[in-house]
Amino acid sequence: MAQPRISVSQSDIVPQITILKFEGDFDTASISRVSGGLRQALEHNPAFLVAEMSEVLSISSAVLGELMGGRKAMVERGGHLVIAGLCLEIKSKLTLMGAHKVFKFFNDVRSAINAYKWEYEGRAEDLCLSFPPVLKFVPLVRQMTSRLAKQKGYSGRDSFRIETIVDEICNNAVEHRRTGSPDNVELSVRIDRKKVEIRVVNESDPEKLRMLKEIMKPDDTAPEKRPAPTADQKRGRGLALVKMLSTRFDVEFSEKGTSVHATKLREE
Amino acid sequence: MDTQIELVYEDIKGKNNAKLVRFIGDLDATNVESILDKVCNLFNEGFLNIVADFKKLRYVNSTGLGILLHFSKTAREKNGSFRIANVNENVYEIIEIIGATSLLDIYDEVDEAVAAL
Repeated sequence: MAQPRISVSQSDIVPQITILKFEGDFDTASISRVSGGLRQALEHNPAFLVAEMSEVLSISSAVLGELMGGRKAMVERGGHLVIAGLCLEIKSKLTLMGAHKVFKFFNDVRSAINAYKWEYEGRAEDLCLSFPPVLKFVPLVRQMTSRLAKQKGYSGRDSFRIETIVDEICNNAVEHRRTGSPDNVELSVRIDRKKVEIRVVNESDPEKLRMLKEIMKPDDTAPEKRPAPTADQKRGRGLALVKMLSTRFDVEFSEKGTSVHATKLREE
Repeated sequence: MDTQIELVYEDIKGKNNAKLVRFIGDLDATNVESILDKVCNLFNEGFLNIVADFKKLRYVNSTGLGILLHFSKTAREKNGSFRIANVNENVYEIIEIIGATSLLDIYDEVDEAVAAL
């Protein structure tokens, strides 16, 4: 049995985060040590408390209960207590005990801090991709964006809508590129807790720009009075669909090319 | 590499000019041409009534929807039908936004679509 040790420190990166480092075996006899550590950590008045457990060898159910008490105290103060760095074996054991329903587990302290920044500081994450103007690359790009949205907690439906927006804009960029243009399509996605911003830049065929400008004209017709699509029309609905799925949609035209920008607010 | 999509064909008991076609995967701009060929081949072989099972069709974009409308129109012109069943809610939303629900014969279940033949 390794002696249980607990140390408390403030994060160098985010001062509002306190790190409670656990080392050794935490059996029932170590409860007073755990409650003392939690008390000391709470004195720092942290917004976010990370229990760092990469050097923990065992945890008893009684200690887990004590941690749950610590989490409750944090929640009452408007904060959170999360667990980071657990080895797979202990994580599985805690999961069997139902701890995953109470605590968020992170692989390491850094991931926990990133989650804090995302959740509480509204930090956005950026994805930038540059791909050749060839259709076969578009599915990979759209699926990657959809996965990113899901990873960031967006619902399946929102992620699907984001996937559709990216797909349609990128397909349009590829199909309407200037003939023979070797330039890549540039996609940038900025995602935060509340919205996703998508921007696609490419060099467009001047002839096809006219059609794009036509689609961009404001349409004051009531939705029920708009002409229904016809079965003959195999194409040309893509950007209209993006317009409907997006919260905001605009296109900038310049000598260098076209920049399509769509914003989608998180709905669910 | 194109997006993966697979069509699985099944006979429909008692209906010689009908086929059940199960769509599996994503229908998008990278594979519409091959799907167009496959379904049009069925029409040309005399299978004028097609029931498309979308239970495992995860994704459709505007280009994919365009060929579904084309199948529906072609079938009607040949006095046949192109019926769709088991559409997932995400795909249904796309069909709805485009305003194509009235142009496609959509059923909740394959059995209902088959019974309507």
